[in-house]
Amino acid sequence: MFPLKSRIIPFIAIGLSLILTSCFKDVDFEQAQDIKLAPDLEVDLLFYQLNENDFLDSETNAFSPVIRDTVRLEFLDDDYIQDGLMYAEFRFRHENSFPNDIKSKIRFLNKAGREQFSVNYDIPAGSTDSLSVVDTLHVMEGGNIEKVRRSILMVVELEMPGGGKDIKGELDFSSKGLFKFEF
Amino acid sequence: MGKRILILFIFASVIGYSQNRPLLYNVDDLPQALLQNPGTRIDFTKHIGVPFFSQIHVFAGSTGVTTYDVFSDENPNVNQRVQNVMNRITSGDYFSINEQLEILSFGWKIGARGYISAGVYQELDVFAYFPKDPALLAFEGNADYIGKDFKFSDANFTGEVLTTYHVGFNYKVDPKLSVGARFKLYSGIFNAESTQNDGAFRTIETPNGPNFYRHEVDGLDVVVNTSGYASLKEQESMTVDQAVAELLSRSFFGQNVGVGVDIGFNYRITEQFAINASIQDLGLMFHQKDVENYRYFGSYETNGLEPLFPELNNNQATIPYWEVFEEQLDANLKEETTYEEYNTWRPLKFNASFEFGTGKSILPCDYLISKKPRYMNLFGMLVSGVNRSKGPTYGVTAYWDRKVTDNLRFRLAYGVDDYSLTKLGLMVSSRFKNFNIYLAANDIIGYTNLAKANSASLQFGMQFIFKDL
Repeated sequence: MFPLKSRIIPFIAIGLSLILTSCFKDVDFEQAQDIKLAPDLEVDLLFYQLNENDFLDSETNAFSPVIRDTVRLEFLDDDYIQDGLMYAEFRFRHENSFPNDIKSKIRFLNKAGREQFSVNYDIPAGSTDSLSVVDTLHVMEGGNIEKVRRSILMVVELEMPGGGKDIKGELDFSSKGLFKFEF
Repeated sequence: MGKRILILFIFASVIGYSQNRPLLYNVDDLPQALLQNPGTRIDFTKHIGVPFFSQIHVFAGSTGVTTYDVFSDENPNVNQRVQNVMNRITSGDYFSINEQLEILSFGWKIGARGYISAGVYQELDVFAYFPKDPALLAFEGNADYIGKDFKFSDANFTGEVLTTYHVGFNYKVDPKLSVGARFKLYSGIFNAESTQNDGAFRTIETPNGPNFYRHEVDGLDVVVNTSGYASLKEQESMTVDQAVAELLSRSFFGQNVGVGVDIGFNYRITEQFAINASIQDLGLMFHQKDVENYRYFGSYETNGLEPLFPELNNNQATIPYWEVFEEQLDANLKEETTYEEYNTWRPLKFNASFEFGTGKSILPCDYLISKKPRYMNLFGMLVSGVNRSKGPTYGVTAYWDRKVTDNLRFRLAYGVDDYSLTKLGLMVSSRFKNFNIYLAANDIIGYTNLAKANSASLQFGMQFIFKDL
């Protein structure tokens, strides 16, 4: 049996040495814990296109100087999203052809309806031939990002002081968010 | 003649790329050569493998990335390296794992010209293309890729575990030509595949639209077929050991079946020069039991949510815009689970080689070329490949095969394929009386540090081989 063993043993030795000497060098697998997904997502938020009828009561046809609506941004009501959100950049753009100044209030509320932050500005009067454009960038980062994390409701409110039932014009709104995450 | 072969040898070595498994091909005193080419020339009259040990084959590889590329300890910025890899790697790069364990193997000479061989082996094969676009979206998001199509077709993978029962016949037509075929019955244990996906997600700028962007899911059609998975999934309390035992119990035609063939030939053009070729696993698996398929399909586009400023009393709730959005999403992007039978092609392998012998020796132990001279040095070149869902992968290997004595043989090989341009391989086979043991390792350079290797493979086996005169 000795010669047979002497044949097998070198093969086993070579096989074992291949397995034993083959190893993972110059690598640190602990770094796997540091790997993060860091997607930057561009997301459309709200948009609307209003005309004079939106400022008139549908029953009495009386002028309503203030109109508002609330939209639930469900995607922000998620622990995974909230924990990973590091930076938010909102862009709001209004194009106004009403011959009246309009006050825009964009408010972000938490679940309980409490305001976390808001972006308010005046939209100057414009005309059909010369639209009044207001393009606003609002960055939330550092300590302020907590306010975005807590937000779930977006309230858009428009006030047209000095308007009347004979007003004519359009108000277009577009908005988006750049959300930077680290998971 | 020699110079021409040498030139062809060098030329073919630099033009080919692929995955291959060449160290046992054309080794005429190993029964495993019959698994690669049932028509190969053989040099024995009977064989029986040591059960479970006649061939243990493992292979793992990835093109485009190594472990070192991601986890290098040179600097701590692992995320930068991940990003570098993401930028470099393409949807044509792939990861592959293949394991084969020969359970039974035996064969014997029939008549003056025939040799019958049979056996059972278990195989695991996983092949996944790098899902570039879905990974890019997850790692980097869409912000830097406005207008780009993130293609769902980049998700493309197959995985299967099966047992193969096979019987093959090798026949020497005349002193120059030998042919062979092998019939295979597959017993499927587990299968998952997703190879025909379609559709794209994109974000495009809409300067004349109602909002800054339009987000589109266009023509989504993602299908994942599985067999042998649903029953495991349903048993939530099953441990890993129990799951493995359950899978092994399916090895004996308990689940899905398939059929396939291998065919091949060897032709000696001159006494010194031979050509040969084979195809393996030309076959189908019929998945009929324990099938569960998942399909995600549809199209949808959105510019965001549009508040309608309804006239509300103080106590009235506003319109549930988000819920409406989700309903639209569910109505347009659907998912369904089906239980329809499906068929899959086995990954077809093909080999073609030529071999040139020098060092004539008269050894009357080759029944197919009895009392003909044989050559102690064999120089060969092998082109091999595997058909995969996005097309075949190729490899070219040049080798020097040296029969030191009738009982000791080694092969030194150099190959290029998709994984590596410097693939050195070594095979050693030794025989004591009728007991044979062999060891083959490919990509030896990689073994010195697997972290920097794109692939590694190892074959090991022992068996009894008889060369009755």
